[in-house]
Amino acid sequence: MGMLSRMSTIVKSKMNRILDSAENPNETLDFAYEKQLEMLRGVKRGVVEMVAAKRRIQQQATSLQANVTRLSEQAGQAMEAGREDLARLALQRKQVAVIELQGLDEQIAGMEMEQEKLTAAEQRLQAKVTAFRTKKEIIKAQYTAAQAQVRIGSALSGLSEEMGDISLAVERAETKTANLRSRAGAIDELSQLGVLNDFSGSQDPLSKELEAITSAQSVEDELAALKSALPSAERKQLPGA
Amino acid sequence: MIIRITTEGQFNLPGSFVDELNEIDNELVEAVEAADRSSYDRLLKKMLDLVREKGSPLPIDEIVESDLILPESDLTLEEAQVLFVGEGLLPG
Repeated sequence: MGMLSRMSTIVKSKMNRILDSAENPNETLDFAYEKQLEMLRGVKRGVVEMVAAKRRIQQQATSLQANVTRLSEQAGQAMEAGREDLARLALQRKQVAVIELQGLDEQIAGMEMEQEKLTAAEQRLQAKVTAFRTKKEIIKAQYTAAQAQVRIGSALSGLSEEMGDISLAVERAETKTANLRSRAGAIDELSQLGVLNDFSGSQDPLSKELEAITSAQSVEDELAALKSALPSAERKQLPGA
Repeated sequence: MIIRITTEGQFNLPGSFVDELNEIDNELVEAVEAADRSSYDRLLKKMLDLVREKGSPLPIDEIVESDLILPESDLTLEEAQVLFVGEGLLPG
């Protein structure tokens, strides 16, 4: 059994579960139409959830990137201040952030592709739903129940296949969204534990010390700038003033 | 014959290409079995390209059943292996 037949079996097993009640043709038509609308809503919801998960991880990636930059600077400043211990801690934290960042872009790109596919699937289903609605009303109006049964047969199986295809796509997208969410959750957890802190506003001792060095350095820099801006005469008078 | 590529849509492929398709399919199964990633990627692409290039896409609002269904282009080797689990081809 090849890939071709295997894939067909899988899609068809999906669609049988979607549309297996076919007693009264008119009921079947309406039921099938309801199922399509339901599925369309499912696809839309899948896209929305995926976009939300993607946005969250993108924000995390941006702030991780900022952390990496900041930690590098702080490590440099710590070294200048003769605090190798602090520099080492800053670099260790930077490493954690770098590792978290790795693969994130790839994951985001993968989500984008999935999103495009789902959006295309949504459009396709929308077109089929519209076509089906027209067909359904025509069949209901023009044929007796027995005739309708025959008429809808092929349309229904074609439609079921489309829905089987789309439900597989939605499942796949859901799995990817769930993976992305758990990754985002893991990053949040590291942040809460202080391993991936955003240093502005965080309260752990290393952050405080690094901040102190940073601000001491800024004060020195500003003082130096002020000094050099003073006219030389005034500068001489300063000590006695 | 009508062929569907999942998540992509349906194509009408002249019946004369069926043998070629079957041949690629057999090689593809071997590649999955051997976990040969580079062959798998190459063959899946070859298979889908054959349908895309030699077939013509069906109008989006046409509702028909397919004769064959092919997987989407980014189905990974690992996912393909899962498809075959319980199929006797690979141990489940």
